[in-house]
Amino acid sequence: MLAAFVLGAATLAAHPEIEEALTRLNAAIAAQPANAELYLQRGELYSRHEDWVSAEANFLLAAELSPRLPRLAQARGALELSAGRPQDAVALLDTALALDPTDAAALVLRARAHRALKAHAAALADLDTAIAQLAQPPPELFIERAALLPPAEAIRGLDEGIARLGPVVTLHLRAVALEESLGRVDAAAARFLHLAATSERPEGWHKRRGDLLARAGRKADARTAYAAALAAIAALPPWLRTSPDTARLTAELTDQAAARP
Amino acid sequence: MRSLLLPALVLLLVIPALRAATTIVRGPYLQSATPTSMVVRWRTDIAEASVVSFGTERNQLVKSVKSEGILTEHVVQLSGLEPNTKYFYSVGPVAVKVEAAKAGAKTDTKAVIEDAPGKAAIHAFTTPPPIGPAKPTRVWVLGDPGTKNATQAAVRDAYYKFTASRATDLWLMLGDNAYPDGTDTDYQKAVFDVYPKTLATSPLWPALGNHDGKSANSITQSGVYYDIFTLPTRAQAGGVPSGTEAYYSFDHANAHFICLDSHDSDRTAGGAMMQWLKADLAATQRDWIIVFFHHPPYTKGTHDSDKDSDSAGRMNDMRQVFLPVLEAGGVDLVLTGHSHVYERSWLLDGHYGKSPTFDAALHIKQKVSGRADGDGVYRKPRARTPNFGHINNVTGSAGHASAKPVPLNHPAFFISLNEAGSSVLDIDGLRLDATFVNDKGEKRDWFTIVKE
Repeated sequence: MLAAFVLGAATLAAHPEIEEALTRLNAAIAAQPANAELYLQRGELYSRHEDWVSAEANFLLAAELSPRLPRLAQARGALELSAGRPQDAVALLDTALALDPTDAAALVLRARAHRALKAHAAALADLDTAIAQLAQPPPELFIERAALLPPAEAIRGLDEGIARLGPVVTLHLRAVALEESLGRVDAAAARFLHLAATSERPEGWHKRRGDLLARAGRKADARTAYAAALAAIAALPPWLRTSPDTARLTAELTDQAAARP
Repeated sequence: MRSLLLPALVLLLVIPALRAATTIVRGPYLQSATPTSMVVRWRTDIAEASVVSFGTERNQLVKSVKSEGILTEHVVQLSGLEPNTKYFYSVGPVAVKVEAAKAGAKTDTKAVIEDAPGKAAIHAFTTPPPIGPAKPTRVWVLGDPGTKNATQAAVRDAYYKFTASRATDLWLMLGDNAYPDGTDTDYQKAVFDVYPKTLATSPLWPALGNHDGKSANSITQSGVYYDIFTLPTRAQAGGVPSGTEAYYSFDHANAHFICLDSHDSDRTAGGAMMQWLKADLAATQRDWIIVFFHHPPYTKGTHDSDKDSDSAGRMNDMRQVFLPVLEAGGVDLVLTGHSHVYERSWLLDGHYGKSPTFDAALHIKQKVSGRADGDGVYRKPRARTPNFGHINNVTGSAGHASAKPVPLNHPAFFISLNEAGSSVLDIDGLRLDATFVNDKGEKRDWFTIVKE
């Protein structure tokens, strides 16, 4: 039974690429049955294809052969997290980070495990460390961190991301939602203005600014924003100005700009 | 005369000695091209200064840029270039001095010795044209190329013969660029040792595949793939800033290219990649939108997009979550790999289910071959029209075709071939021609989209 798990399920072997990689690893393991790294690699292969049982069996073999094998605790932690066992994931990722405190991938995984356990402070601490360690943290990490913070702090964190990564649209959009939730309509509108100013197609951003202002009851300001959107459309080359999607947007904006106060 | 001879003699003595001490072991290769800038990268076996000498005349590399530090991994950004202009370049500082000496300038021999040795080879690239206006553009598309075997070389050579003296303006790798694990050694043997000529002359724009993903991590932007490539995160080359090298976009003339990470980034509808994609699609003014990523929305080759377990559902995600947004955004062409075959669709829209749910009457927008010499090309309005149709093209056989028989029976495809080869795009104004050239140099599929 264990052998079947270690060697993997038949469904996986049905995919030629996996079959090829498995064949290679199986041959290598046959030649070096005490090589823990090879079991780790085979476990990682199964993990990537979400065959958790076979992955775990291989990781356990690797752990038996070499408990302090680099990457092993992280791989096992990732597996536990993917399999919905965050508590076990935290324990394994603690081990991974004890072996290598600079392992940013393990920090992110442990943050996610903590979050799953609703241990937000611990999750935040790990994300803070990961973001500080990485030369170029992706926007996803700033967004994950923002989700754990009260809105005002979250916005500061997103702005830190913008300062480090540039005017990333996904960070601005998350910040806009938070600004609006705090009633900081002007700050949110300013972000849309910034996005419009840096876009080749500003009309969509002006439209969203108008919608934001309209939601806040600032009808006159909204109409001004819609008018800016129409002006941006008017500045487009004819083939874009007359496209069906732009025509639809134009009609919508015209109605909104003309709406009675 | 004597004033010129002395430094030249010194250089003749110094250069061979220094050359013996260091070697370029990778590159040079070109990255993140814009009309006014180019990133030049290369690797040396011994740490040295990073210097690129360049100019518009082969024998006058009169300008140079030096990056900070003494390194083996060299990354130099050339800025202030003229669009659509041919530049000659050489990496390593001595070349500058040689050219300067030739030009009669006073040579600082001490600087030569303290700096890194130069490399005599002179390469050339042409900067992209200004963004917006049309200019004939040739794009080479390689899916899953990195096998390091004879098939990969045959596919490469077939393309070289096909393109002949026509320069490759840019090239795309659709992932699985270096088998089996995307390690640095794999990349060396599968990419840098295989395509040195194209790497030195044409900017390469890669996507992350599952094999590259074995040695890379998108959430930490770390690992071999992210170390090797310099990709735009701040919309340096057009588009909207993504903040990550995992997914990005760029413009070339009147075409907008979008690279997605189908392997390792969040593929949910509420994820950052999707939010960015929507903004990027909405922002572009280019005539053509070409999207490339690794996992195909449809395939019946060495992978099966109908099987939920295949590739851990990534193909499902790209079909069910991303394809509707791409089609609504007016995308013209979706290029993918992963399945080691060639499959090319009709002009399609709206098919997001498994293959049994494909309804030709509903999903095929134009049921023609797309061939000017057949029953007609695909025609689309120039004005951006959501859901007018796109061509879905799996071209994942640049390193190998399937050794075993594969079904090749997905009804979305006009043609399906189990043959090794690569694809070529020729964009000329409002006309896009695509050709699949197999490893024997045969033109096995072709189609045209015309915008009116």
